[in-house]
Amino acid sequence: MRRTKLVPALVALALALAATACSPSKQQPTPDSSEDIAADMGPHKQGGSVTIANVTGQTWTCQFNPFNPAVNQTSNGFVYEPLVFVNLLQDQAETPMLASSYEWNAEKTSIVFTVRDGVKWNDGQPLTADDVVFTFELMKKEPATDLYALWTGAGLQSVKGEGNKVTLSFAQAAQPYFFNFANQVVIVPKHVFGAGEAAASPATWANPNPVGTGPFKVDPCTANNIQYVANPSYWQPGKPYIQKVQYPAYLDNGPANQDLASGKAQWGSQFIPGIENFYLNKSPDNHTWSPPVTNVALIPNLDPSHAATSKLEVRQAIASAIDRARVAEIGEGGQQPAANQTGVVLPTFQKYYDGAAVASAGYDKPDAARATSLLSGLGYSPSNPLKLSVITVTGYTDWDASLAVIKQQLAPVGIELTVVDLAQQTYNERLFKGDFDLAYYGQAGGPTPYYELRQILHSANTAPLGTEATTNFERYKNPAVDALFDKYPTADDAGQVQIIKEISGFMLRDVPIIPVTESVDWFQYNTSDIRGWPSPQNPYAQPAAFNIPDVGQVLLHLYSKSAQK
Amino acid sequence: MRYLLRRGGFFLLTLWAALTLNFFLPRLMPGSPLQALRDRTHNKLSPAALQELLTSYGFKPDENLAVQYVDYLGNMVTGHWGVSIGGSLGVPVTTIIGEALPWTLGLVGVTTVLAFLLGSLIGTVAGWKRGGRLDAVLPPVFVITSALPYFWIALLMILVFSVWTGGALPSDFNYETGLQPAFTGEFIGSVLRHAVLPSATILITSIGGWILTMRNNMITTLAEDYVRMGRAKGLSGRQIMLGYAARNAFLPNLSGFAMSLGFVIAGSILVEYVFNYPGLGYLLYNSVQNVDYPLMQALFMLFTVAVLVAVLACDLATVWLDPRARAKG
Repeated sequence: MRRTKLVPALVALALALAATACSPSKQQPTPDSSEDIAADMGPHKQGGSVTIANVTGQTWTCQFNPFNPAVNQTSNGFVYEPLVFVNLLQDQAETPMLASSYEWNAEKTSIVFTVRDGVKWNDGQPLTADDVVFTFELMKKEPATDLYALWTGAGLQSVKGEGNKVTLSFAQAAQPYFFNFANQVVIVPKHVFGAGEAAASPATWANPNPVGTGPFKVDPCTANNIQYVANPSYWQPGKPYIQKVQYPAYLDNGPANQDLASGKAQWGSQFIPGIENFYLNKSPDNHTWSPPVTNVALIPNLDPSHAATSKLEVRQAIASAIDRARVAEIGEGGQQPAANQTGVVLPTFQKYYDGAAVASAGYDKPDAARATSLLSGLGYSPSNPLKLSVITVTGYTDWDASLAVIKQQLAPVGIELTVVDLAQQTYNERLFKGDFDLAYYGQAGGPTPYYELRQILHSANTAPLGTEATTNFERYKNPAVDALFDKYPTADDAGQVQIIKEISGFMLRDVPIIPVTESVDWFQYNTSDIRGWPSPQNPYAQPAAFNIPDVGQVLLHLYSKSAQK
Repeated sequence: MRYLLRRGGFFLLTLWAALTLNFFLPRLMPGSPLQALRDRTHNKLSPAALQELLTSYGFKPDENLAVQYVDYLGNMVTGHWGVSIGGSLGVPVTTIIGEALPWTLGLVGVTTVLAFLLGSLIGTVAGWKRGGRLDAVLPPVFVITSALPYFWIALLMILVFSVWTGGALPSDFNYETGLQPAFTGEFIGSVLRHAVLPSATILITSIGGWILTMRNNMITTLAEDYVRMGRAKGLSGRQIMLGYAARNAFLPNLSGFAMSLGFVIAGSILVEYVFNYPGLGYLLYNSVQNVDYPLMQALFMLFTVAVLVAVLACDLATVWLDPRARAKG
């Protein structure tokens, strides 16, 4: 998923100028009728081929090591599978994959997985509990493969196998890490990764012919395209329905979006500017549905050395002055929804949202008058404005547009905002080390608001100015909030909802960051032949092709209409 | 002989200076490979594990810079260029460059030769028939087009020949993604079709220079006595144009051409970028974007060596062709 770059944006502009007869139509996710959903449930006949248009900005390296984060989005879900799939979009709904079941102990410090019977690696060898134990042990032995910091951060203590059971024991309650170790970690074969070149350097091994349990096999891979063919001995009988997947390497959004518009590719995963005219109006079979998953926010620098942004009144004024709906409408072309000050992404995490608290804090609608009075209390006014700068990334054209709207909205309340466009490298450096007044940034998330909020707010994720912070870039430190996060793992479901609501309270009171829009999972799909896509009615997985392991779930649902005759 | 030794010594000295710059410049850039990797993985993964991973691919941020520098010089000379720590994480730099080099040589190299030959020919004819119809149209037009920026011409090309024609000519990549590279008519046809727009862009923007110098040289040469002598002998116009005037007017262009060959390898970054052509120029852009030290170093070295070798070859050729250049050596 790459953001749109300047040059293609110019092409898009030229296209927009060239396009005549722009007929406006309402953008809609085109709801499938309930019949279609019933039809989607399957089973289906096998056949057909799907082409993915997901821009990665480079040609394929034809390496499929699942521990290499630069390439694992072409192997995880396709070839390698996790123990349990956790659906972020459906309140953590679980689909057992390589583990047929699991059981926590009462304190949630230890979990026993039952490894599924009858699963075979695509080289014919059976999957055993040994493979699962090996995968987790490998992460201990080779810290470079422990991408989710299970042994260091999550407190994993030991992995034991017995028969078809595997027990993971943790130093403390580890329920929030279930998403990582059961869903994001994929299981690798011991007989491949434990032998020869792979065993010598498992983290860096190229793995050109991946041996996995997944629905597809790589055949063949070239720099320009990966072709996947169905694994005939896949453990879910009759699946996958789709027999071939083409995954061309796209260096840039422009050509990928062209292929989507022409129908040459059916599965899109990036922003399409002016999607109505460019894509949706081209064919009645073209659809889009981009569910929100995280926030894009203004990150104020809370360090006392930044006099203005460390002042609560200034942050409150900004949060009150911004009309988020307009930023979403103009800056993001209506393709991203507005965020809210609690940082709980709606409608995805509706049950964690405390609307009454937002209203009573006055952040349910923009309030320029409040912002003006807060700032005049500090001695600022439109004639004597507070000067602030915000850093963003050159070429993120939608962010530039959003910030232009924000700048306009802040001017009349007495803030003069300067937008500083930085090259990606410079931006990273300044963001991580805390060299900014305000930064425009979006975090990654997880299956509940806990994950994103913890990254943003927990003091364990921050660092002094000048040192690289992990994810808490605004440098927020509040022991009460830390305590709430630390209580979360042991709480039951209702307790966890309560904790998130309490943390939302701190978001409203301290305004540590100012969420502006909700970052979405860009997704466009063509239904002329391929059916079974995730949709608002059936959000069975995150739909964009860069989500691992969700991509595997989507591949297991897709089927070809023409193959059903 | 002494002249040659001096040129050789100068070559080595320049090479060393360039290699040194290539090592330190990327490291003075803001950002680090780790930050770039964290950004590319959306900050979802443990920075410690990523650091560990980069280390196992040969990235040693904590090692003494002087030690790294000495290692680097040795590795550059012995061809151990390392493994990418950027976008193509884990792929040997030689493999990456090996895949991209033929595309750049094919696209930019062929186009440069074409532009040179075509430009010189047009310049010759235009200079011969000074004030004629050809002279009135082509040189001014191409001088204007070579003043236009590469990327603007490229965007215009895409708009006119790709978008308006509904994709008659492909506007990106080196060949149709579904094809397997092979010596089949289909594959070669696809490669050629994908090369049309980018090479036309380079041709249009670079041909003007050749035309102008060739035309002006022709005009100067045509005023020489030996040309008048040729006319007096009653030679045909064609013989005088090609055998008498153009042959001599061509020499300065030729040395300019030797120099420009050196720059072929650096690709045309903007053209490759706009057309998403996976050659060396695009690779350089990507490696800078991802703070990929090993790839940047190897690419910079290739570019420097190519230009230096071209200059050296040009020097040697001049010595061989022109006795005056030798006289003082």
